Amino acid sequence: MGEYRIGQVVEMLGLSADTLRYYEKIGLLGNISRLPSGVRVYRDKDISRLKFIQRAQQMNFTLAEIGALLKMREDPQGARVHVRQLTARKLEEVEARIRTLNTLRDELRLLLNLCVASEDGCPIISEIEKPR
Amino acid sequence: MILIEIFSAPNCPRCASAAVLLHSIVQEHGDLCQWRRVDVVEEIEYAVELGVLATPSIAIDGKLVFTSIPTENALRMAIDGHVREHRCNG
Repeated sequence: MGEYRIGQVVEMLGLSADTLRYYEKIGLLGNISRLPSGVRVYRDKDISRLKFIQRAQQMNFTLAEIGALLKMREDPQGARVHVRQLTARKLEEVEARIRTLNTLRDELRLLLNLCVASEDGCPIISEIEKPR
Repeated sequence: MILIEIFSAPNCPRCASAAVLLHSIVQEHGDLCQWRRVDVVEEIEYAVELGVLATPSIAIDGKLVFTSIPTENALRMAIDGHVREHRCNG
């Protein structure tokens, strides 16, 4: 089981030390263990929660929403109705984003394939330069 | 009416010959079949929606059937199959 000092977590996840302390303060991380000297020690479970927070933030979830989702993550069976409903809504948002990203990926893949296959010129350039 | 769409792009080296092949097969079926050329750069959303990832690709009645240039026989069989189905369904 891994144990990490705050500097290591900063380096590993690209979050600032202030952000880590803030997440702890508002309860997103629960109580982080401390050495007798007071130095914080993050465990694998904390790292996993932090990664979840990062993923959720990339989906523009609010910190309040993330807090609720973390409760669900901790205890899926015991989650309250409103947390379950929130989770279902967020799942729909994630699936919609995946559909959007899939379409974007396919468009880019098609454009690149056209470039590779074209005798001269590149349709990707004319598509980008087209007035919107 | 059966609609056959060929997805092509500017400077696509094999699209023109695929279109010629398609045109000749479609003509054999008179008014029952119609074909159109889809420029994937102009209609990229539609092309992607159908799953087109390269040109030439061919769709029949809104479904992607060939993702590269088909042989004459394969294209004829695919179109004939739709024509038979169309006639059976009245």
